[in-house]
Amino acid sequence: MATYRGSPSAFSTPASTTLFRRLTWEGTVPLEIRVDSKELPANSDRGLETYYIQAPRVSYLPLIVPELKRFLMDVVFDEAAGRIMKDEDWWFESEEGSLLKWHWPLGLIYDNHTVSASIRGTSSALPQPLAPLRIILHLAAPPTEKLLLAPSAEACKQAFMGQMKEADFLRWGNTKRMTGLRKAEQDGLWEGIKEHNFDEYWRVASKVTPTTTPLRSQSPPPSVAMHTRPPSADPQGATPDRDGAMNVRSVPVRIYLPDGPVLQDLVPPLLEDGVF
Amino acid sequence: MAGNRKPYNRSLPPAWAAHGDIQEALDALETYRKKDPNKVIVRFKAVGNAPIMKTNLYQINASNRFQAVIQFVRRQLQWKAGDPLFTYINLAFAPAPDDTVANLYKSFATDGHLIVNYSTTAAWG
Repeated sequence: MATYRGSPSAFSTPASTTLFRRLTWEGTVPLEIRVDSKELPANSDRGLETYYIQAPRVSYLPLIVPELKRFLMDVVFDEAAGRIMKDEDWWFESEEGSLLKWHWPLGLIYDNHTVSASIRGTSSALPQPLAPLRIILHLAAPPTEKLLLAPSAEACKQAFMGQMKEADFLRWGNTKRMTGLRKAEQDGLWEGIKEHNFDEYWRVASKVTPTTTPLRSQSPPPSVAMHTRPPSADPQGATPDRDGAMNVRSVPVRIYLPDGPVLQDLVPPLLEDGVF
Repeated sequence: MAGNRKPYNRSLPPAWAAHGDIQEALDALETYRKKDPNKVIVRFKAVGNAPIMKTNLYQINASNRFQAVIQFVRRQLQWKAGDPLFTYINLAFAPAPDDTVANLYKSFATDGHLIVNYSTTAAWG
């Protein structure tokens, strides 16, 4: 195993931050995935073509395809159909016929769909709490133009890394933290998502996200700190203040409105009066 | 242990829907659906071996998705389907194809221009 330089998460991340990250990470959504009945190959075992999964919110559709494929091959398709099945042609729709994006996290797809449906419908049509999101799996002819990306795990990874760099740029005005990662580290971010491995993901992610110990580094006041405690001589080995969450240029935030546009703008970490 | 815990309800609170207060929220949402009529100036810059465009400053609808910008470059370069083209903002990152030009402009414009780099090989990838 590769040895990693002191993982900041182990030393300087407050327990509350780690807890919050852990809770976010462990969130799951219920999905009910059914093969489009018109596309089921001949001799399929009908009645079994629905797969239920409690999937991580931070995962993506392409990442659940292998599990889904195993199930369909084992239980639903016969051997002849299994042999000609090409999962690179698979794509997903909601029950109402809206295309599900490959580069949106599953939690976002679930929430966006649930909220959109609940404001569209009457109060009697409010979705049941914890009801699975019903998804239709199509086995051929992906509408690549509308999906915007090739339906593959590799394209999803590229989109994910692009988003990480965009966030990096918003925080620091450049992407040096992301591009400064070694190839193995960059891959580790995606592997962490893919394997749903919290430690693997945060071992790398903590190198590009701001530190969350603002109170210690902001007091005593900077003028005093400069004279008495040069950063290089800090006995705590604390991460320099410039990496602090309050020193980012902007907080990467995006608001997905139900049935509507996605909003993004520069969001400073502090209000004008210095309030968090 | 979990017997008394109520499951999370992620739909809108029924009280809203029942009392018609939801209308206010819907009206607010509606204001965001109107298309942004503004245009923003996009400056295209070739990277590496990519051919240079005849004109490199264009006004593009702010409400367009970045996907439309990618297709615009492909048309300008007379690229065929399948010819590789990679697009970046500020020589730094590839935006999601469903980011809007307006969002990208608000967050990343330099001197009043949104700078879009294009390349025939993956860079900063």
